[in-house]
Amino acid sequence: MDKLRRTMMFVPGNNAGMLKDAHIYGADSLMFDLEDSVSIHEKDTARFLVYNAIKSVDYEGTEIVVRINGMDTCGKEDIEAVIRAGVDVIRLPKTETAADVVEVDEAMTEVEKKIGKEVGSTLMMAAIEGPLGAINALSIATASKRLMGIALGAEDYVRSMKTNRTPGGVELLAARSAIVMAARAAGIYALDTVFSNVDDEEGLRRETQLIKDLGFDGKSVINPRQIAVVNSIFNPTEKQIDDALKIMKAIKEAEAKGSGVIALNGKMIDKPVVARAERVIEIAKASGLYREEV
Amino acid sequence: MELKKVGAAGTYESSDIYVTLFPNEGNGIEILLKSSVEKQFGTQIRKVIRETLEKLGVKDAKVQAEDTGALDCIIRARVETAAHRAAEITENFNWEELDKWTN
Amino acid sequence: MDFAHFEEIIIDTSDKSEIKEVVKFLDSQNLLLDKNVDKTVIFKDGKNIAATGSICGKSLRSIAVSPFYQGGGVINRLITKLIEIEYQNDNHHIFIFTKPQAKESFSYFGFNEIASSESAVLMEKGLPDISDYQKNLKKSFVDGKVISSIVMNCNPFTLGHLYLIEKTSKESDIVHIFIVEEDKSTFPSDIRLHLVKEGTKHLKNVYIHKGGDYIISSATFPSYFIKDADALVASHALIDIDLFGKYIAPSLKITKRYAGNEPYCKVTSIYNDVMERILPEHGIEFIKVDRKEIKGDIISASKVRALIKEGKINEAEKYLPESTWTFLNSNEAKAIIEKIKETISRH
Repeated sequence: MDKLRRTMMFVPGNNAGMLKDAHIYGADSLMFDLEDSVSIHEKDTARFLVYNAIKSVDYEGTEIVVRINGMDTCGKEDIEAVIRAGVDVIRLPKTETAADVVEVDEAMTEVEKKIGKEVGSTLMMAAIEGPLGAINALSIATASKRLMGIALGAEDYVRSMKTNRTPGGVELLAARSAIVMAARAAGIYALDTVFSNVDDEEGLRRETQLIKDLGFDGKSVINPRQIAVVNSIFNPTEKQIDDALKIMKAIKEAEAKGSGVIALNGKMIDKPVVARAERVIEIAKASGLYREEV
Repeated sequence: MELKKVGAAGTYESSDIYVTLFPNEGNGIEILLKSSVEKQFGTQIRKVIRETLEKLGVKDAKVQAEDTGALDCIIRARVETAAHRAAEITENFNWEELDKWTN
Repeated sequence: MDFAHFEEIIIDTSDKSEIKEVVKFLDSQNLLLDKNVDKTVIFKDGKNIAATGSICGKSLRSIAVSPFYQGGGVINRLITKLIEIEYQNDNHHIFIFTKPQAKESFSYFGFNEIASSESAVLMEKGLPDISDYQKNLKKSFVDGKVISSIVMNCNPFTLGHLYLIEKTSKESDIVHIFIVEEDKSTFPSDIRLHLVKEGTKHLKNVYIHKGGDYIISSATFPSYFIKDADALVASHALIDIDLFGKYIAPSLKITKRYAGNEPYCKVTSIYNDVMERILPEHGIEFIKVDRKEIKGDIISASKVRALIKEGKINEAEKYLPESTWTFLNSNEAKAIIEKIKETISRH
């Protein structure tokens, strides 16, 4: 898990202006939406737009995710178009069961075979947007080798739960816990829902800190203004980087001595601490905060 | 592809193009373009519209297009949509064919 | 990149509370909500109206953007939405009346100017357009020394109309009659056209045409169809006659236009005044003919409708040519007669 997915910016699939230059704001991934932000009359034109944009626009390496429509509507058409265009990740909305994932996986395989693309090379993520999906989180997370992550879609979730979004986010606690645990158990990314009030920077900061503390890898954003806030919370602080580097140095020293026990400042360092230090350095490298000296 | 009715796609928002295709039996492709960047890009926009229609096999069409600075790929997308709508093709798009000449 | 989010609301006139808000918003910008709109689009930013626009048949009406959002992309979104609604209704030929200073912005939305007055510009977009209309009209060209024209509503066709047509026919080589096509009149346009055709069969130099979109239609002359006339009438009449002089008359080489004198209806009387003033500028002679009277009693279609409304249809017979009288006694007329009894409109 070395790719940064701190921020995934939502881009309505029928918006030409946003499709053109969405990558310049520094989000780790872009999610082009063919589903809820596109009215039923505009599904065809949004699909053509996203297809042509992915083929032609140079997104400078930014990961491109497309949220497709459900398989009961025009999901199959979406899959064919965007895989042909060369999308990195297909996002399945409203995932309820492992079978939903398998169905999309199979449709993806069919297209990859047809166009001579390596089977499995297009990744997938599943958005969980209801209680059934949250309960099935683990079976969903392990349903396909293509899955790079599972995400929470909060709007539909809270509606199904007969509750509302609150500033503290208690209404999402169960779903977030289920998702982050399933993702960790499956070894894939856990990605959080959007924060819809773009004017409330403090609220966004609080919510991002909460989900980071829960163990999430990143969050969806709906406005470029939200990117820096979310990225900064996921980035390690200078002190965290320093500490991690000291730990890595201690490991090297211990290895050189042939010692099985790693100690720093007289304290023994155990495995989880090492893993955390490695993760901090990974993120620091990926976000450009730390460059390895050669 | 034959245009059976009027087909349109696009928006007037910035960096987009609004394309309306009218059947034009036996009269070839006629393009009426309004663009905020007509002077610099008018010729190129017309060329993309014409080529896209030709590749879709549309022989006759009156095109009315209002451009607000769309990239070529956006123009192609809007023309493709308008043509499919005008030809009343709503599913089972021929992606294999489209794929051959889009890059 | 435009990230502003608006709630889009589409309403019809039955939504009283929203309409009230739109009227207030338009009023703050010295605009009126057109009385005949079919649908109104509202963009809201939370509580306030950011922009609104309406459609009325083939026309866009009452468009306004809040001062706070002017200069942004809001108008582009609004026009996109309005055109989308027109297209969904299968209207691919769309009109807009606008102020001369807004002409340029609308030209970027694909609208072309077709007529103007000092205070207003009429623009159209899509097909079939004015040049298609002219091409079609030219097919009806018949040569003659004196080619005259009359524009009539004939709601329904009376002996007064017949008198005007006969007089024009006598004084001309060729007569082109345009029947107002807009279906806001009590008698449907195809019936009005049919009754005139039937009733003028004996006149060999008379040609009957549908008025189409360009002659007193709700697009070219909206206030004609609004029940209480106002200052807009003269401005709209100027546009309508500008179109007639620029496009319609030259297609058929028309040099005269006849009209009945109008003692009752203010709108028609203003329209006549404008014709008298403007038509000569286009090289067209305007001839106003006094109304036909029966023993001092002026014949008019509105009188006929009034008698029908009061259930005194037999008293209307003396005003009507045979074609109209036969129709009124047919089964087909029953529904129309019922409708007249319920309401009454001006034209």
